[in-house]
Amino acid sequence: MAIVKLDNLTKVYDRSHGAAADSVSLEIGHGEFMVLLGPSGCGKTTTLRMIAGLESITDGTLSIDGKVVNKVPAKDRDIAMVFQSYALYPHMTVKNNLAFGLRRRSVPRAEIEEKVQRVAATLELDSLLGRRPHALSGGQRQRVALGRAIVRDPKVFLFDEPLSNLDAALRVSTRVEIAALHRRLGATMIYVTHDQIEAMTMGTRICIMNGGRVMQVGKPLHVYRRPVNTFVAGFLGNPPMNLIPATVTDRDGGRSVRVGEAVLRVPEKRAPASMPGSPVTFGIRAEHVALTAQTGEDTAEIAGEVVQVESLGAETIVMTRLAGVENNFVARVAGDADVTVGERCRLFLDLSETHLFDAQGQSMSTEPNERTA
Amino acid sequence: MASLKRSILLLILCGYTAFAAGPFVWAAMLSLRTTTEIHLDHFALPDPIHWEKFPDAWFNSNYATYFLNSVQVVVAAVLIVTIVGAMAAHCLARYRFRFNRLIYFVLFSTIIFPPQITIISLFQVLVNYGLYNSKLGLTLVYVAIQLPLTVYILESFFARIPADLFDAARMDGYSDWEIFWRVALPVALPAVATTVILNFILLWNEFLFAVVLITEEANRTLPLGIQRFIGDTQEDIGMIATGLMIAIIPVVVIYAFFSEKLIQGMTAGAVK
Ligand SMILES: Nc1ncnc2c1ncn2[C@@H]1O[C@H](COP(=O)(O)OP(=O)(O)O)[C@@H](O)[C@H]1O
Ligand SMILES: [Mg+2]
Repeated sequence: MAIVKLDNLTKVYDRSHGAAADSVSLEIGHGEFMVLLGPSGCGKTTTLRMIAGLESITDGTLSIDGKVVNKVPAKDRDIAMVFQSYALYPHMTVKNNLAFGLRRRSVPRAEIEEKVQRVAATLELDSLLGRRPHALSGGQRQRVALGRAIVRDPKVFLFDEPLSNLDAALRVSTRVEIAALHRRLGATMIYVTHDQIEAMTMGTRICIMNGGRVMQVGKPLHVYRRPVNTFVAGFLGNPPMNLIPATVTDRDGGRSVRVGEAVLRVPEKRAPASMPGSPVTFGIRAEHVALTAQTGEDTAEIAGEVVQVESLGAETIVMTRLAGVENNFVARVAGDADVTVGERCRLFLDLSETHLFDAQGQSMSTEPNERTA
Repeated sequence: MASLKRSILLLILCGYTAFAAGPFVWAAMLSLRTTTEIHLDHFALPDPIHWEKFPDAWFNSNYATYFLNSVQVVVAAVLIVTIVGAMAAHCLARYRFRFNRLIYFVLFSTIIFPPQITIISLFQVLVNYGLYNSKLGLTLVYVAIQLPLTVYILESFFARIPADLFDAARMDGYSDWEIFWRVALPVALPAVATTVILNFILLWNEFLFAVVLITEEANRTLPLGIQRFIGDTQEDIGMIATGLMIAIIPVVVIYAFFSEKLIQGMTAGAVK
């Protein structure tokens, strides 16, 4: 167990391309499962590799348990990493793959044997110990890669998109397995993924990155409910949050916005009064839009036209077009909802769940603890 | 229809085998006959079989010395070329540093020079350093002439080994030096085996540099030894054939041993 602290960690590969990781600050606590989530190329792997010691740190400090380790070589950091490609040694048997790291640390032979056997048993690799990686299935290779990390019993585990090469079913079961592993070992784990389902289900906290920068850090549900900017709002959630350009009107003391042809009154806690006429982004998640009449003081009703219907069984995703709005406006309703493409509909918005973002895309919410909780 | 195709294929293969192996079989037969017998009938079967020609060549015609010299020079040269070449290739393929590609290009571009161009200056260099007429000198020259191709073959193979493998070994606690020996080299074994076979056969048969750089009887290598049976006025065909057969044995052994590894490595899908 360990505390890993990133303080303005920066990596510049090539001066002409800017920073791949830009002032990343993050503290990962004892036994925490931190997920770095973001689109491809946002600097997740770079950040992870700096923590691992595989990449030099351009600027900032990295400390483990209070000790600055910027210059400590990878082998002395007591960190294990599971690679996206698994990176199993092709010329060694499964057993030797597992034992390779222990041998270097001059662990006694008998102890290596015992540890390898134990890890192989927990990962159901017993019968495969004599095989070479090329004779294993994708799922089995993945488990060997996991085993190679576990057997070393490191202070910190790093995972770089370990599930992205597995098929869908295996991905779900391995996800559950890794989560169980974390509960059992209680070790500090940092997990990189671009898959938001993995992030939401596995993370103690998630850290959303974009363009090398940290956008928001927090518990998965908190980040989902209180995105600090339009990037996070649009990235997390499926379907993504409806984000519609809007303008502040002079009604209700600057707390109403014009969305297309409709004027909506945003509850006080969700936005401070602002200058009439200023441009904002109005956001609301699909599950807070209904097609059947709702009561409640914060409900607003607007008219739209259905342009597409996706029936997923348990739920139906309805895409609509609002008068005077370019983007589609998406509602997520019950699976048995009866809607057809082309029909006019009435949409009921739960305004207590709206998000307003200013011209820079930052959340205007006045609720406390937005960024870190 | 299928069997007809098969028969044709078999016929072609038989023809090719006869074409390729024929001269070898002929030389093998000559090696067991005396020159007088050979002059009477070039293609007769050995009768009686003169096994004694082999010990005769080995003990009386100095073949033991030539053979030992060849083994020393070629084994040392192949060993050095393989290790230095693999290290250079690993370094050029793995590490990013200034002039990496320039070094690679300069090294590789030396392949375009035919040996005749360099041999006179090489001769002078060896004389200056007191390495002329020595096995050490010949070994170093052999290393130099085979290094570029070796680096070229190995570099492209090392470059295909996924970088994650080396990162994983670093996380497992190994230094760059250990990673080369314990991960890079074993994974690249099929390619290394290829260069070992290639270099061994080429150098074992090398004649031009040897004949220019070695004149002393005690330091002659096998190809020079065989040449000794070719006199000014007559050639001892029978002994030349015997010498050739002795010379071929190690090549066959090396090939049999390493090609096994080669095929093993390729079918196992070394890099995966
Ligand atoms: N070794 C490298 N040399 C130069 N640029 C790199 C290197 N590795 C990554 N990058 C660049 O850094 C940025 C972040 O990459 P990466 O950390 O791999 O993103 P992610 O893992 O989030 O997909 C990308 O723009 C990528 O092109
Ligand atoms: Mg990545």
